[in-house]
Amino acid sequence: MSFSPLATPTGFLLPSVHSAPPFFTQQPHPGTNATVQDHWITLILGYARHRKLFVLRVEDAEATDSEWLEVFRNERINRKLLPSYLFSILATMVSKNVAIYEPPGQTRSVLLYWRLPEEWAEVLHQWAISTGQLNTILTFYEITDPPIPSPLSNIPVTLLRKAIAILAKTGRSQLITIADGEGVRLFQGTGK
Amino acid sequence: MHRRGVGLAAFDRQEQSKRSFAVLSAQLSQAQVDQLHAQLNQFRTALAHFATTHRDSIRRDPAFRHAFQQMCSSIGVDPLAGPRKGGWWAEMLGLGDWQYELGVQIVDVCVSTRERNGGLIEMEELLRLVTKLRGISGGQITEDDIARSIKTLQPLGVGYQVVILADGRRMVRSVVKELDEDQAVVLAIAQLQGGRIVEDMLISGKGWTQGRAKAALENMLLRDGLCWLDEQDEEYGKAYWVTSAMKWDM
Repeated sequence: MSFSPLATPTGFLLPSVHSAPPFFTQQPHPGTNATVQDHWITLILGYARHRKLFVLRVEDAEATDSEWLEVFRNERINRKLLPSYLFSILATMVSKNVAIYEPPGQTRSVLLYWRLPEEWAEVLHQWAISTGQLNTILTFYEITDPPIPSPLSNIPVTLLRKAIAILAKTGRSQLITIADGEGVRLFQGTGK
Repeated sequence: MHRRGVGLAAFDRQEQSKRSFAVLSAQLSQAQVDQLHAQLNQFRTALAHFATTHRDSIRRDPAFRHAFQQMCSSIGVDPLAGPRKGGWWAEMLGLGDWQYELGVQIVDVCVSTRERNGGLIEMEELLRLVTKLRGISGGQITEDDIARSIKTLQPLGVGYQVVILADGRRMVRSVVKELDEDQAVVLAIAQLQGGRIVEDMLISGKGWTQGRAKAALENMLLRDGLCWLDEQDEEYGKAYWVTSAMKWDM
């Protein structure tokens, strides 16, 4: 018996560790636990990027209609990730700054940083340049739900705000209050 | 009875013969030293000749290399020993560098797989990964070469050691940790099971008491980090997986 990588129906390549039965149990040895959780974190972020998922909740370990099903369950070896273990993985992710609790003030749901806010800022800036939307006022809706799908489609507003704030630091964005909410104006910027 | 001279003249005579003996002995040892030098030179020339004709075979052909190592040990010469960096044997054969290079590759594999196997790797697996690392041009290597390289790593004091299990299987340990006898038994069984082991295998298979089986497994899990715990085992509810016995396709 040996453990091998496996492609899922959605085209994601599960790492070989996913076919190892003990992968689904929280490890009592601190060193081992750190190693195994690192594998989980890599897997979760990789899958989130693949499916463009931004939110992960403790409940995703149990829900049978969860988008995470093929990651949190392995029917072939009859193992599943327990909510208590996912809870602990989420805490580790937040401590490593690859996720934040969202909404803040609770610890059962996170916003995933498979791209850091700094990276999203550059993605946003590049998108505005390539689509010729510099210097015009854009509503958040126009960014999160553009007519032509973009890398920013469905980006949570929390993350978008952070990206805009980062661009503002280098004079590349300006937050604007408009009639029906908020908007942003993006600029070429100087230095970069 | 031997006649001994008496008086001052006899004293002189004795002194003189002592001197002549000293001269003679000096001459003799000088001759011996010269002869030894000549022999050494001859040996050196022969070795240089051997090195130029066989160096490639030694580095490429594991069987030839093994025969050469055996020859060296039977005449009491360590091909790597010497006052200089690798000794002049090693320098002439290029075997020192070859051996150290292999050592570095072994360390590379051991360190990069440590988080997976807790610092204990099966010899076969190590050989497979080192061979992969060296590529095709590196020439073939054997378990014997690996064992020898590990010996050269010993002065570094990092605890690299070949551990032999009860069933004769060899494993390489890259962490400073003592494997006790019970753990060796656990390892041997886990090897056969693809890594999985439960208390019952030790109780019914080896006649251990439940306490002993539990202690051995919990120590490996909690103290040494050599196992992963599985709390969803279908048969027993709780199983231990010895990471070094788990086979991974990368």
